[in-house]
Amino acid sequence: MKWRRLNYALHRDIGYLCIGLTLIYAISGIVLNHLSHQFNPSYTIEKSETRIKPFPSDIESDMVLVENILSQLNESGTFKNVAMLSPNKLRIFVEGNTIDVELTTGKIKQEKVTRRPVLFEVNYLHLNKSKGIWTYLADIYCILLGMLAITGLLMIRGKVKTRGLILTALGFIIPIGFLMFSL
Amino acid sequence: MKKLIPIILLLILISHPAIAKNLLLGEKLILANKTLVSKINAEPDKYVGQRVQVEGIVIEVCAARGCWMDLSSDVPFQKIQVKVVDGEIIFPMEAKGRTATVEGLVEKLELSHAQSLAYARHKADEQGKKFDPSQVTGPTKIYRIRGLGAVIQ
Repeated sequence: MKWRRLNYALHRDIGYLCIGLTLIYAISGIVLNHLSHQFNPSYTIEKSETRIKPFPSDIESDMVLVENILSQLNESGTFKNVAMLSPNKLRIFVEGNTIDVELTTGKIKQEKVTRRPVLFEVNYLHLNKSKGIWTYLADIYCILLGMLAITGLLMIRGKVKTRGLILTALGFIIPIGFLMFSL
Repeated sequence: MKKLIPIILLLILISHPAIAKNLLLGEKLILANKTLVSKINAEPDKYVGQRVQVEGIVIEVCAARGCWMDLSSDVPFQKIQVKVVDGEIIFPMEAKGRTATVEGLVEKLELSHAQSLAYARHKADEQGKKFDPSQVTGPTKIYRIRGLGAVIQ
């Protein structure tokens, strides 16, 4: 029948179209599933502590001081900003590094942040951080996934009918069963 | 050709200017005047429920979900927290150290002792610090901005 051919063609072509996006959502889906305070799926966060020469308590917090600290730490990243968190605590922002300095003790805490290659980008898309046009593209992708499911359902026939029905049923039973036990 | 479309779209989005330059998040900023963070901190109850626009250096960002950030005040050692609905706005880690202009509603949270303990535990967990329950001695009040829109320069 003609509609079966059309259904097959739709399933095949939508499938092709969805390969890239499905891989993006699949990879990010796994890492976002394991998001916690100990694991940031988009960034690598390295924390470290060290000490530099302490400063007198009456030292003026200016750029000379900041440059002195950065030089002691061999930090050559682009300077972004500086903020006084308390009379004794300075926070220096360098591209990719946040440096907390306890002036009178010389205690340093660094937090180096770098984007995880590939994961940052796929999570950016999955979490729809850009909003705007991506919202609509993701909506279209969801509709295509729905069409993929429906056209797939209509392909259950012939020799694989029983297997198809069992597997399809499983796809419903697993989430429903989980909800019944967990809610 | 069809297989290339998702790849092309991905490349376009990765090179989207929003990732690199001025980052516009959430609603457009509509207020003409900024309110000083120090003024809100001095009389927070006066501002509760009001839409305000504040500006400051982003001194901290939620590392797990990007759902809040701390903005420095115009007065040394002060700050204010901007909290957003998870997923609606996501503050990137790169925002740290950049200047942000934020608009939102000032809100007041009144936490019981138990809620304050849970809040402090959550904060300690977020920052990878050891939770010390003795630091929470009773109910607490928290004033913060429910962020609606932001521009990170």
